[in-house]
Amino acid sequence: MNIFSEIYGTYFRIAAKLLENEAADEKMVRETVQREGFRDSVLFLPQKLIPSGEDWGLFRRGSDNTLRRITKKAPVKVLTKLQRMWLKAKLSDPRIRLFMNIETLSALDKKLGDVPPLYNMEQFHFTDRFSDSDDYVNEQYIANFRAVLEAVKSRRIMFIEFVSGNGKRINGKFVLLKMEYSPKNDKFRAYCYLLRNDKVRSSGIINIGRISKIVDTGRVFRTPVSVEEYFSDRKCSSPAVVSVTSERNGVERFMLEFASYEKHTVRDLETGRYTVELWYDAQDETELLIQLLSFGPVIEILGPKHLREQAASRIKRQAELLAMYGEETRNDT
Amino acid sequence: MAGFSELIKNFDKTRDYIRDFFIYGCKIRSDFERKSIRTYGDEKRRVESWMGDCMRYDDSVRGRSVSISADSGHIHENPLYNAYYSKSFTDNDIRLHFLLTDILQDGQKRTLKELVDSLNSDYGQLFDKQTVRNKLREYVDEGIIIAEKVGKTLFYSLTEHIADDYLRDLNGLDDALRFFSETQHFGIIGNSILKMLGLKNDIFFIKHNYIIHTLEDILMPEILAAMEEKRFISFRTFSAKKTTDAAALSAENQVVPMKVLVSVQTGRRYLAAYIPALKRFSAFRLDYMKTVKKGDICESYDEIKLKFERNIPRCFGVSFGMRRDSGAVTPMKITFYVDEEKEHFVLDRLEREKRCCTLEKTGEHLYTLTADVFDPNEIMHWAKTFIGRIVRIEGGADAVRRRFYSDISRMNRMYGGDDNEHIQ
Repeated sequence: MNIFSEIYGTYFRIAAKLLENEAADEKMVRETVQREGFRDSVLFLPQKLIPSGEDWGLFRRGSDNTLRRITKKAPVKVLTKLQRMWLKAKLSDPRIRLFMNIETLSALDKKLGDVPPLYNMEQFHFTDRFSDSDDYVNEQYIANFRAVLEAVKSRRIMFIEFVSGNGKRINGKFVLLKMEYSPKNDKFRAYCYLLRNDKVRSSGIINIGRISKIVDTGRVFRTPVSVEEYFSDRKCSSPAVVSVTSERNGVERFMLEFASYEKHTVRDLETGRYTVELWYDAQDETELLIQLLSFGPVIEILGPKHLREQAASRIKRQAELLAMYGEETRNDT
Repeated sequence: MAGFSELIKNFDKTRDYIRDFFIYGCKIRSDFERKSIRTYGDEKRRVESWMGDCMRYDDSVRGRSVSISADSGHIHENPLYNAYYSKSFTDNDIRLHFLLTDILQDGQKRTLKELVDSLNSDYGQLFDKQTVRNKLREYVDEGIIIAEKVGKTLFYSLTEHIADDYLRDLNGLDDALRFFSETQHFGIIGNSILKMLGLKNDIFFIKHNYIIHTLEDILMPEILAAMEEKRFISFRTFSAKKTTDAAALSAENQVVPMKVLVSVQTGRRYLAAYIPALKRFSAFRLDYMKTVKKGDICESYDEIKLKFERNIPRCFGVSFGMRRDSGAVTPMKITFYVDEEKEHFVLDRLEREKRCCTLEKTGEHLYTLTADVFDPNEIMHWAKTFIGRIVRIEGGADAVRRRFYSDISRMNRMYGGDDNEHIQ
């Protein structure tokens, strides 16, 4: 029992897809492989599906040159024990309540029967997750979450009241594009556009946990909106440029910690330093800055200028604070 | 390239390569000294095929470097799941998969002989009994097929757990699958259900998303089962520094697994375990581990676990300690300057990020964090996110404090400030 098994594999899935129909043709096979396969699958897979002497024998060529499946019915989609064990484990995850009500969850539990959970939540410990996570058992939170989820799916215009990050009470009509979850914050947010007179005024992010009221206006936002455009609007104008040294295993630590960013790395053979460009969302600049500062002198922020200046100002202030309390510091050390 | 296959047998080898492409992002072919050119070429091609637009190529005087650059907060599906969907198989594997499930779809129970006969007469496929028996046994383990003994004869039938029924009967399951398929733990399994059902996650993005963790999930079922069954495990480790396969195959470790420690900020996951040989707890990077095997039952598991539960609240991160190496360490105290009126957000940050430490007001605009932890050094990476607010550091270990003062001095020089003589 292992997730690295061919029964979950792309080739099996493509074969299952094609076997759903009694008949297929070569064009359909190639198109399905192209659409569902890996980049190069079209070079390897069609000849295993189309009768050719080296095929798997899942299709026979019909008199009309169509490909007739040798199976009698469309492939059955069964949940394996591993998949059921995973579902069973999810029953203990409080976030599942955001999607399914108590009755449905107990029906799921009953369906899964006595299969053991794949894991228990107690087997994991998040070492550095923030403590003010969203309250997933709060009925109002659940209702708000579901309202947002439905609005994202239907693109309905919602009237929302919420408290912003700096404590300002905001309300207005919004179109909600997607939802975001952060394992670091253990919070959900929604990407949104604020509307004025049914036109997009500005983009933003709303924390689900900060919503005090959400009402469906009953209207759908029909203007096409692109998530890519939303992201690019919020992107930094120029990337952070950071020089990373190998001191204290800095390169590996840095690359791993910033693995979630789009980045470009160049190594200087003479100095052994790495220069990394990191693209980030402009609103996350402070988060990025403090994350960079936590590496101390192992890295240096080279640009953009305003980011380097912010770092310099914090460091200067830090040096001043230590100088101010220097006497105590010296005595202590 | 002759003999190239998109499918793989050895997941560990692929993990090793992806890690290098993903983490370093600027290695060229000759940097992969321990691998053959052919292996490098094949692995690179597979990763390119899975990662699509996330691959990046840069030419330099040294050669062309290949890297994975993904803004993982803005993707709907972890592209590294494709590594799991690439397991190689035989022609018989795929034939028997579709034929046996086709035969058993009518809900009837059949013997091995009836199944072999049906394969021959209804599908024109000749299989020997042993081959079919092996596949049936495998599918019984997978929970796809049920085997029941009636008298001396085994009867086989298809499981009643049909994914479409679940989806139809359980309102909200589709969205739950969309979400959980991209989050810990084992998002890959949720993704496999979604894919089977022809669904996609088109709703959720994951911020602070370390997509490479999925590759470590290959080890987890064995580790978790060992925890559940209170067993030892043994494993080997990858080493980035070794240059030959033989050297990379380091000595086998034997430990008692306690808990998986997940860092959502540094991109690392660890196995916290007890090392009987050293009589101490330690944490092992999951991304360095391979070939995990369950061992014997550990008779003193409950006792060790109790000790672990007493110890873990004193880990700031994953380190169990310097104390043994450096002798007793007094609690570390870090005092921060915060203007409560204008900077309440700083207090909020301290409160939500302080973990096992305590925070108290100790003066005008001064707040002191007390950390009674095994390894004060672990706090400093986090403490430095408060650069510009740290008034003093007391206790902990001398070396840790000295390094902090020296770091600030170096940074001050680095960023053009005056080197302040008061900083040590």
